[in-house]
Amino acid sequence: MTFSLIAFAILLALVFARVPIAFAMALVGGVGFALMRGWGPAGSMVGNAVFETGLNYSLSVVPLFIFMGNVLAGSGIAQGLFAAADRVFGRMRGGLAMATVLSCGGFSAVCGSSLATAATMSKVTMPSMRRFGYSDSLATGAIAAGGTLGILIPPSVVLIIFGLLTESDIGKLFLAGIVPGILGIVGYLLAVMVAVRLRPELAPKVGDPHPLSRKDAISVVAVLALFVFIMGGIYGGFFTPIEAAGMGAGAALLIAFATGGLSRAGLWQAFLDSAGASAMIFAIIIGAEIFGNFINFAGLPYALSNFVSDVGLSPWLVLLAIVLIYMVLGCVLESLSMILLTVPVFYPLVMDLDFGLAILQDPDMVLAWFAIIVVVVTEISLITPPIGMNVFVLRSVLPDVALGTIFRGVVVFWVADIVRLSLIIALPVLSLFLLQ
Amino acid sequence: QDLVMSSWLPPKHPIVVNAFEPWAEDVEKVTDGRVTVRIMGKPLGSPPAHFDMARDGVADITYGLHSFTEDDRFTRAKLGQFSFLGDDAVENSKAYWAIYGGDLDAAKEHEGTHLLGLFMHGPGLLHNNVRKIEKPEDMQGLKIRVPGGYVADLVSALGAAPLFMSSPEVYEKLSRGVIDGVAFTYEAMTAFNLTDYIKYSMSVPGGIYNTTWFFVINEDKWNEISEEDRAAIDAISGEAFAERVGKAWNDADDKAKEEIGDKVDFYEASPEVVAALTKAADRLEAAWADQLSGYDGAAALAKFRKMTGVRGE
Amino acid sequence: MTPTGPDVSKTGAGEAPDMIPGRATHRQAVWYRLLAVVAAVLILCLIGVTCIDVVGRYLLNRPFGGAYELTQMLLAALVFVALPLTTADGGHVEVDLVLHMVPERVQWALGRLAGVLSALVLGYFAWRLALLGVSQMDEGTRSASLALPMAPLAFLAALSCAVSALIMVLPRTAP
Ligand code: NA
Ligand code: NA
Repeated sequence: MTFSLIAFAILLALVFARVPIAFAMALVGGVGFALMRGWGPAGSMVGNAVFETGLNYSLSVVPLFIFMGNVLAGSGIAQGLFAAADRVFGRMRGGLAMATVLSCGGFSAVCGSSLATAATMSKVTMPSMRRFGYSDSLATGAIAAGGTLGILIPPSVVLIIFGLLTESDIGKLFLAGIVPGILGIVGYLLAVMVAVRLRPELAPKVGDPHPLSRKDAISVVAVLALFVFIMGGIYGGFFTPIEAAGMGAGAALLIAFATGGLSRAGLWQAFLDSAGASAMIFAIIIGAEIFGNFINFAGLPYALSNFVSDVGLSPWLVLLAIVLIYMVLGCVLESLSMILLTVPVFYPLVMDLDFGLAILQDPDMVLAWFAIIVVVVTEISLITPPIGMNVFVLRSVLPDVALGTIFRGVVVFWVADIVRLSLIIALPVLSLFLLQ
Repeated sequence: QDLVMSSWLPPKHPIVVNAFEPWAEDVEKVTDGRVTVRIMGKPLGSPPAHFDMARDGVADITYGLHSFTEDDRFTRAKLGQFSFLGDDAVENSKAYWAIYGGDLDAAKEHEGTHLLGLFMHGPGLLHNNVRKIEKPEDMQGLKIRVPGGYVADLVSALGAAPLFMSSPEVYEKLSRGVIDGVAFTYEAMTAFNLTDYIKYSMSVPGGIYNTTWFFVINEDKWNEISEEDRAAIDAISGEAFAERVGKAWNDADDKAKEEIGDKVDFYEASPEVVAALTKAADRLEAAWADQLSGYDGAAALAKFRKMTGVRGE
Repeated sequence: MTPTGPDVSKTGAGEAPDMIPGRATHRQAVWYRLLAVVAAVLILCLIGVTCIDVVGRYLLNRPFGGAYELTQMLLAALVFVALPLTTADGGHVEVDLVLHMVPERVQWALGRLAGVLSALVLGYFAWRLALLGVSQMDEGTRSASLALPMAPLAFLAALSCAVSALIMVLPRTAP
């Protein structure tokens, strides 16, 4: 236990000294394992972890869902979504920020990653909001928060990884994410309304929105069609959730060519970005695997579950404690490594709890509900300082906006997230009624 | 000594609960607490890596399927993967331990480790949801998920299309009609929630296939244990473990049969189908025996069947 | 994210988003373009394998038995072909939060240290993957249904990690 805590401390030190998270985890995990087991075994473990992660069939969804999102981003679909959302909210104060939230939600329905959603939408919505004199903090806050929906509204790379870690039905997890995702959109819209009500100077009134062009309408239809194709394909039994990634990517290419929105340079960029992002994600998965093996060997999960049962907390308090641990970890850990490190520790713990609700009698339901809780907490961590990945993405896309400005803008959305999280925990039926 | 065991099956799997965990407790008992076994809640590597993990000392003790890795290592281990070997997991496992562990020198194929056990599960069946297979032609065109190369050759000899995928994928594909059937045990039908998607389950005397498992400890680690304790552990391993794990498989199969009840039509293969399967199986068995140099595969198979009483010859 | 990163905003609105914050552009280098082309082809193949499998099973009632394994192999190839690209782009997730509070010289020193440590890790990966490849060659390890040899994949992975390690120790400069 002490040994693993020291290791965690060294890991954080390395991470803050700018060692890439993937290699910091591999380094601490590998050396820690070697100190306990010897170098030969550690080497063998590391070699296997690297090789087998590359060969993991289910992880094929990572490059494919990312590619799908990148192709659509490159073909101008995000602009269309934004224009359409602007028609809905354009006349209201803060309408552009609300349109940003809604179009982020729409793009999330065809993009599996939050970072990609935030990066794409920032390029589309930020120029408009700036042109009309929106404050940078509200504008970037709306994008950073709206972007987090990418991993809750299906398809979602994170839900797939959760499904793999817990051997649960990924299709069901996708279904469970829909209502909480819509709830997220509504919460963020309310957050914008409250923000501009309290401080009207954040968002000046904008004139009538532009009429919807044919191209914008096509974009909306394309997104809807692709979402229905993916979800319908999964639930209609035509393909598995893993195959859905390949089919979705193929369909996205067809849509891009059919609408003619994708240039050759755009296509090339989509390939390049997807390959790069995949290697980055796989490096993190490999690092987390190595570090996880060390933590597992050092007996941390075991000590933790013993601790919980010794203290004898009520199930709801245990869940609350887990959520709090996630909130704390979410401040300092990158989202994917957080899930890879913690879900194997916590999910057996949660599965053993009896919450006394009829809807949670089925273990699959408990797992789906827990998955949504974990994803929502992860979404929150994406915008919580000091390590909020979505905020980092925005800063690198918009280098002239200070990190502090973005984090300030995020506060009101963060509050909305906490309310949503409480609702999702208190009312499991929100996540689960589509599954019944 | 505290031995670390990496386990990749779900923690509640019948052979974890009814074989490995009790074995681990018994190790502590028979060595008066000098040797303990800690079973990890989460494996230290992917399932196929588990033999190498014990050999290289990543974990001290591991178990796994010989067919996980497709290579030239466990050639003689295939003895236990053929058809018509036995309907009782205890008898199968004891015969496998005796013959593969004895005549076929299993220790040599598991170099770098000490063998704690070699075992098999209950008989494999052919489940499908299209039609009752009454004559060999009924197999034509069925898409069947198979666990390995031998069963693939067997079903394709009868005109079915073999497909490979991981076990958890079977549910996804069977429920979507991507595959028509699967070669599995009784236990796997309930373990993977397949009952609703299977209509017919055909058994053949002695099983249509089986899988073989190793249960090993790192050799250096083994040698660090005192001679007295090694003897005590050996006494509850090997044949005794074959008995224990075989019973765990049998009980799991019985429980599954009870749970499924009459939701699935269980039936014995017709003599025609058995004959067709036997013809294909004989050819595959001969091909396997031919490639063993210095070991008599045919004699080993005959001895196996005699021990389990499948064929009286 | 990465203090050495270039001004990504220059990429303009029409292009696809940068997935990775703060990547540097190495697109002129021949090896980079070559690897990128291979990665693009591998992504297309991944899509193709699934689509042919799914469409084939409905239109022709002929599933493509090797789809599972081909996907595995293509995925591994893609990941390891792309690893040097991401590494060259400075695309790995890093945290530069604290660094802004220290003098530039310290930043630079920490950056180098991070590079060397990363290179050590990647070099070790390469070494262990090469050992794995050798033992797979000795044991004749191959895939279950298509009987494809696994060793070449392990050597590809080893090479990829070795190249990435080299990139990591070379001083990083913004273009
Ligand atoms: Na999504
Ligand atoms: Na955070």
